[in-house]
Amino acid sequence: MAKKDHWENTQDPHLLYTEAARSEGLTTQDAPSTKEKPEFNIIGRDTLRIDGHKIVTGKAPFLNDIRLRGMLVGKTLRSPHPHAEIVSIDLSKAKSLPGVKAVIGLDREKAQYIGNRVAAVAAVDEQTAEKALKLIEVEYKPLPYVVSVEKSMEEGAPRVHDKKPNVEKIRDEKRGDVELGFKEADVVLERTYKTAIEIHHPAETHGSIAKWEGDRLIVWDSTQAIHNVRDGLARSLGIPAGRVTVIKRYMGAGFGSKLGLNAHTVIAAMLAKQTGRPVKITLTRKENSLCVGNRPTSLQTYKGGVKKDGTLTALSLTNYTTGGVNRGDRCSEPLLDVYRCPNLHVKEYTVYTNMGGSRATRAPGHVQGTFGLEGFLDELANEIGLDPLELREMNYTTKNRGDTGVPYSSKGLDKCYELGAEKIGWHRRNKTPGAGQGSTRRGLGMSSQIWWGAGVPGTLADVKLYPDGSVDVICGTQDIGCGTRTHMAVVAADTLGLQPKDITIKLGNSDYPWAPISGGSLTTPSVAPAVRDASLKAADHLKEMAAKKLKVSGEDISLQDKKLVDKNNPENAISFKELARDLRRETVFHGERKGMPDGFAYNTFGAHFVEVEVETETGQIKVLKVVAAHDSGQIINTKTAESQVIGGVTQGVSTALFEQRTVDDTTGTLVNPNWRDYKIATSMDIPEIIPIFVDVDDPHINILGTKGLGEPPRIPIAAAIGNAVYNAIGVHIRETPMTPDKVLQALRQKEAI
Amino acid sequence: MKEFKLAQPQNLAQVTSLPSDQRYFLMAGGTDLLDEIKNEIIDPGVVVDLKSIPDLAYIRSTDEKIRIGAMTRVSELAENSTIKTNYPVLHEAALSLATPQLQNVGTVGGNLCQRPRCWYYRDPQVECRKKGGSRCYAARGRNRYHAILGGGICHIVYPSDLAPALISLDAEATIATANGDRTVPLEEFYTLPRVDVRKENILKANEILKEVKIPPSKNEGKSTYVKLKERGTWDFALVSAAVCGIVSGNTFKDIKIVLGGVAPIPWRLEKAENLLKGNPVTDDVVKQAAKEALSDARPLKENAYKQDLAAIAVSRAVLSLV
Repeated sequence: MAKKDHWENTQDPHLLYTEAARSEGLTTQDAPSTKEKPEFNIIGRDTLRIDGHKIVTGKAPFLNDIRLRGMLVGKTLRSPHPHAEIVSIDLSKAKSLPGVKAVIGLDREKAQYIGNRVAAVAAVDEQTAEKALKLIEVEYKPLPYVVSVEKSMEEGAPRVHDKKPNVEKIRDEKRGDVELGFKEADVVLERTYKTAIEIHHPAETHGSIAKWEGDRLIVWDSTQAIHNVRDGLARSLGIPAGRVTVIKRYMGAGFGSKLGLNAHTVIAAMLAKQTGRPVKITLTRKENSLCVGNRPTSLQTYKGGVKKDGTLTALSLTNYTTGGVNRGDRCSEPLLDVYRCPNLHVKEYTVYTNMGGSRATRAPGHVQGTFGLEGFLDELANEIGLDPLELREMNYTTKNRGDTGVPYSSKGLDKCYELGAEKIGWHRRNKTPGAGQGSTRRGLGMSSQIWWGAGVPGTLADVKLYPDGSVDVICGTQDIGCGTRTHMAVVAADTLGLQPKDITIKLGNSDYPWAPISGGSLTTPSVAPAVRDASLKAADHLKEMAAKKLKVSGEDISLQDKKLVDKNNPENAISFKELARDLRRETVFHGERKGMPDGFAYNTFGAHFVEVEVETETGQIKVLKVVAAHDSGQIINTKTAESQVIGGVTQGVSTALFEQRTVDDTTGTLVNPNWRDYKIATSMDIPEIIPIFVDVDDPHINILGTKGLGEPPRIPIAAAIGNAVYNAIGVHIRETPMTPDKVLQALRQKEAI
Repeated sequence: MKEFKLAQPQNLAQVTSLPSDQRYFLMAGGTDLLDEIKNEIIDPGVVVDLKSIPDLAYIRSTDEKIRIGAMTRVSELAENSTIKTNYPVLHEAALSLATPQLQNVGTVGGNLCQRPRCWYYRDPQVECRKKGGSRCYAARGRNRYHAILGGGICHIVYPSDLAPALISLDAEATIATANGDRTVPLEEFYTLPRVDVRKENILKANEILKEVKIPPSKNEGKSTYVKLKERGTWDFALVSAAVCGIVSGNTFKDIKIVLGGVAPIPWRLEKAENLLKGNPVTDDVVKQAAKEALSDARPLKENAYKQDLAAIAVSRAVLSLV
């Protein structure tokens, strides 16, 4: 039987994620060299996805395309009660249904939210499995529950967890003296911002297939973390990690909801063991809405002091966040880091409720915190009649922790401001918010972005050369849809003088060399330097071989156009393929993403500039244009980098305007567990998006000077939209999603003043 | 999903003569019914697939009327040139509906007979009044998309875009019954929850909506459909206004205003019609008329904004015609 506590732990991958994302302070003797930046031929240019054609023509196998001989379908019975004691479970009727191969109770004493797993079945097909679920007889004893944050905070509210109170402090951090700072200020302002719960909703819902071969377990999983799933499965099932292989082929996104081991994966393995047949479990959209994570709410109250010239003197934040049965998100990280402010006080509390637990969601905490902080800065700027961009420039830093810490290894935020402002035409903004006339008003807004994204030292990759001239790049990372295959091929091809299509990419298998989770914007800055390292070693080896053939020194050889060429005499050359023959056998070169020197903070930066149009009669917001300027260091492939930015902005527009998990406080039911009522932006809602990558050299971070980009474009967009709406109509919508009802209400309140 | 039997009748008589003790559901395009079956909102028993019946999909112009067969696809309606020219309100409503994919599959009859989208009704675990329970969960629950008019015991809104448009055009519904066809004004086809909370229209067992008929368009006749929704496409109306009138200068000789998204049935705004008829129309006059006509609205906790939106939808539609 599985050890339950292990998979309970994996329900909350916040820690894993955050630790991995903020890899600052990891040290090693092998600091990257700071010698001159190399010349690139393919890196930093447009390369089409090497698997793009396969994906858009439906030939790429996603989890649901995998069908194994004798495979059964697994389904999970879930609690219909927000809080209930499970008195008894009777599986006998379900077991006797023809076509049912296994039924298991999940050894749970209590259900803590609607959707909490209770039992599972494996059957010959989906219909039979569904029928069997209905035949499982569970006696529940309903318990008092609480699903609203406000009610959970009340005295005497039903306890969500037996062993901890409903409200817990999760951060209390100070710098300087805020009271003193408020006294020094010319203006002191207090405002509250609120963000709704967002559900990840990857296009492909969660799914796993488990198959045993003797005492070896093979799992195909839709996951962002093959190695973590492998380790988690080994722990849960009490078998050696080396006997578990996790494979991830093509994937329809995760956004954080597929980090770490999932309960349904363990259940599939248990059912497969019991039946001796492969078992597939695919979650429905409803299950996806209820029980595999969400972005916690925030209720952020800022108090800030500013001098007339724009100098910030003090900022305080109190935040209440709920992640259902899991911890909420700390959202004060941008506030604590990016602007100069000598006096700060942050207090954050998590509030537990009887709802499905949170999981890391694309830039957890930063998305919510940036909406609050950057909205508040615009309101402060307005109070002192200052251009909001100038306010940010006034308080610019080059060291972390508000200029009190260590220098950033590189920071191109100033360039993002400059290029972004120019591209959007920042001078066109209303000098006074809401200065426009008529019922259709336009406005401009912006927001800064900070995130981690340095990558993880110790990431491994191999380059394998074959005597026939073919080349493999092998790494136990996973391409979750962002173009990892392509960037690996780009780096190897550039280093070896080949083209990306000449490289065979092998990834998505936990038997391959270790790589971290794909989350936290760390895949590229982990994997690309490791591939580069291995490729450089392969290149050196080939150069030495060529040098002997061409009778020159290895230093005089360059790899270009599928040849090894004497730099001093380009006629003196040998083709890559011909030279490879002399390898005689396949040869493997091991690469590693090395550590980073101490004494720096490693961060990514960006700034979004947005133009909106607001209909004051209907409260409708139309985003017209987004300029997204990013400092993510050396871009490996501009094509997929731009896609990443377009995706992040799209998701941000969607959550700024539409997305909200809606819960009935009385019954504890999620009323919109589908894509009709949980509204996600359509193509009609997405504006022109202009990505800009600023040219910033980072000699410290890794041998390619590359930083992550997965989360950055998701972070500032909602704040920038909010600020543009403020600029258009002169009233700040302090709550996402900014739906027509909220805009109309805010306008009415403004009229009333 | 519950198991069901599939019936493929060859003619309407086979449908109208089905034994009345049998539980069955009629399926046109299936975009709504299949959803209800899959989510176990209903236990269908027998699904009667109307696609097997020939000659129910047509748009025919006669001297007197335009006749639209119930199985006509919404996309065919949207593309029809006579409708586009003579009945803009219907053309615009068809185009605004769902998405091109759903327009290609959904039918006119199905759209007019679809079930409400209330998220409590659509939750298989919720036994609300519409499903035979004793409560309307929306009344004190989450109700930003619910009715501001005519709710009472059940606060659904009728989700169809075509219904308000057709009613504004004085369309009639032809209903096939075991005793031959009967025809009613489409406006009378829909019923409030207080009539029968489990139903949204007058269809009895063994009856089927067969056709809608629109009277010929008049020369000075003008019409339009204004739909306010949250996102750019694939969205039911927060509020919509279908307006059809006979305009001379800036005065309406005749006008019909029907709202969608505000009530359990397409909601006729007679008060506004009377205030506007015969008077020169200005921005202020329309807004005032709409406001007055909507003063009966009884919003719930989260949907008062719909009252503002309804007034705007009406004034935008009316003003676009003068």
